[in-house]
Amino acid sequence: MANRQSIEYAKIKGVHDVPLEEFYTSGHRTCQGCESAATMRGFIKVAGPRTLVTGSTGCMYVANTSYMTTPWIVPWMHTQLGASGSSAIGMAAGLRALMRKGKIPDEEINTIAHCGDLGGGDMGLSAISGALQTDYDLLIIMNDNESAANTDIQATGLTTFGANTTFTPPGKRIHITQRRWKKNLAGMLAVGHPTCKYVATACATYPTLDYLRKVRRALAVGGPKFLHVYAPCPKGWDYHPRYSHDIGRMGVLSGLFPLFEILEGHVTYTHDARRQREPVEKFLMAQGRFAHLTKDDVRYIQKMVDEMWEEWDVPGVVPTKGSLKT
Amino acid sequence: MIRRVEINYRGVFQKRLAKKIGGDVVRIASQMGKVGFSNGRYSDAPERSGIPSKYFAFVSSDLSEEELEAECGAELDIDQADVSIVLDDTLVKGVEPWAWSGIRPINENLRDGGTLVVVTRRTHEDLLKHIPGKPRGWRLATYEGSQSFSGMWVFRDDFTHERTLGAIAAAAPDVMTIEAVEACLNNRHPNDPTRAEAARRAFDEVVEKMKTVVVGTGVESKEAAIVLPKWFEFGEGTVVAAVPRGFEMRPSGQSRNQQYKRGTTRSQRPIIRFDLCTKCALCWLECPDESFDPVPDGLYDVNYTYCVGCGKCAQVCPVQECIVMIDELEFDDESSPWETFSKDRHAYVTWAEDKKSLGRLIHSYVPGSADPQTVKGERIPPKHG
Repeated sequence: MANRQSIEYAKIKGVHDVPLEEFYTSGHRTCQGCESAATMRGFIKVAGPRTLVTGSTGCMYVANTSYMTTPWIVPWMHTQLGASGSSAIGMAAGLRALMRKGKIPDEEINTIAHCGDLGGGDMGLSAISGALQTDYDLLIIMNDNESAANTDIQATGLTTFGANTTFTPPGKRIHITQRRWKKNLAGMLAVGHPTCKYVATACATYPTLDYLRKVRRALAVGGPKFLHVYAPCPKGWDYHPRYSHDIGRMGVLSGLFPLFEILEGHVTYTHDARRQREPVEKFLMAQGRFAHLTKDDVRYIQKMVDEMWEEWDVPGVVPTKGSLKT
Repeated sequence: MIRRVEINYRGVFQKRLAKKIGGDVVRIASQMGKVGFSNGRYSDAPERSGIPSKYFAFVSSDLSEEELEAECGAELDIDQADVSIVLDDTLVKGVEPWAWSGIRPINENLRDGGTLVVVTRRTHEDLLKHIPGKPRGWRLATYEGSQSFSGMWVFRDDFTHERTLGAIAAAAPDVMTIEAVEACLNNRHPNDPTRAEAARRAFDEVVEKMKTVVVGTGVESKEAAIVLPKWFEFGEGTVVAAVPRGFEMRPSGQSRNQQYKRGTTRSQRPIIRFDLCTKCALCWLECPDESFDPVPDGLYDVNYTYCVGCGKCAQVCPVQECIVMIDELEFDDESSPWETFSKDRHAYVTWAEDKKSLGRLIHSYVPGSADPQTVKGERIPPKHG
């Protein structure tokens, strides 16, 4: 493997360093203003043509294969709902075996798996955990649109507290039925897999270029990597598609969705919400899925967010509270 | 005898509206002693914001419920609609057939003598500039109203639902009568007579504005007839050929999915003042549909065949009045705006400002929570360079 040809990536310093060519191209059956489509487009744009992509069932699977057509230019394979992790292992292992046997040239080929928050964060968690314990070079990207959007918006373990979904409609007597706090997925995977070198969170389009840089950084690190991408969904979050970028920005600036990267154990905040946070109310009230919330509910969500940034041992990442400071 | 009502609507934005209308057609017809059945079009699910979708209602006075359901329940698309309702007037530029095989005319599924009813503020002549002719006569009717957009959870109760019921009664009294519509609405809202009154006003308006479209009028259909692939033309298993790789710095220089051109999703299109552009590239970078094409002079052309009109580019553009969303019915071609601009800068800027001066709709964050604002915009003189 000494003479192995690797992919050289230039640093993305500004927007004009982003490659112009698309490998996930126009003609996909996504919503207007779909941030998950922006996530797909972004990762393959910066990963480049020497990439294999596998994706588990979800909104982005159906959109990518509507009517026996595809927007993909690179090879892409659908896999089962909970199988993005195992599919990525299989692909990476297959490539390694073919190269070892001399059937294909020994050169770097990226393996990227994508999944949704139901497929990756709930159902496929064990497969992703398994993938993060291997030594294969693979990257798992989870589009978090906070719902099972493909089947018309059902709550998942990553749906924000209080949101209206088809599983959790507000009732007359009990107005909040989504009572689970959002699963702390990236933190859980980072803490739980000591040999995994890179776990990060990003928002699809805010801050500009941040997500693209994180994909490049992840691809440069060896071994399995995980990226949790916050992807506002105009359909399920009920806002006009025009505001997709703004909703993501508000979510990040309010501190509700923490942006960080953990490279070999070092936590860096992309947006340090410990210093400055916008009130969550502005973010919540811009979406129809929170239209039924009362002032008290907003106060509760604000309190939980404040706690995450002020009391957690590693704010936004590890929810223990000073237990080891004896 | 089966009467068929087809409701064309914008996916997600008018999902609940279409469902309420379809459901009420069945309810009112059964109150009149008929049998009704309604369903959404299977291939529209999972529904996506803006994609043209359909909802159907069937009414019969002689079949039993089981017979009607057997007759209509499994239909994927209907081809003999007595009434076709269009809830957003930009849909007259074309819709998608069952499971997509190309853009189809809005009136294709209308039976001979059937009625196309459009909610619009435009005239018949304006609409007929976009609707292809048919070999036999059909009727066009309108009632006044703007896009009634809601979202998944917050419904905009602006009486479009009640008014559409009145419009259906006017276009096809044998589906339901206006008296039955009024009785149903008054029964449901005993203290609110305004809803039944709104239905009656829409009924009167449709009766007044209904015109038979003479055979031979209407534009020629731009789209070729659908040729579905034969079973032996499909690949082995479920393998789909990838889009061939290709990129050049020119309009439409990026290779795209040729089998799925989804411009019909657009109800507004971005108009770009290339002379004001600072080349920040945010429109291109943020576009979720890869619709912008980098061109050699550092600008970004837009491909209207694939643009879905979400308006994100207009929202992220940092330059005032540089990218503006304008009603899709103001346009009838999808050629490259950058090419037009490069040929004659002055003429393009004047044209763009004329289109912009028509005003534009700006939706609130939650589309169902408030009426969209009509913004006039500012006339910006051409920038020389």
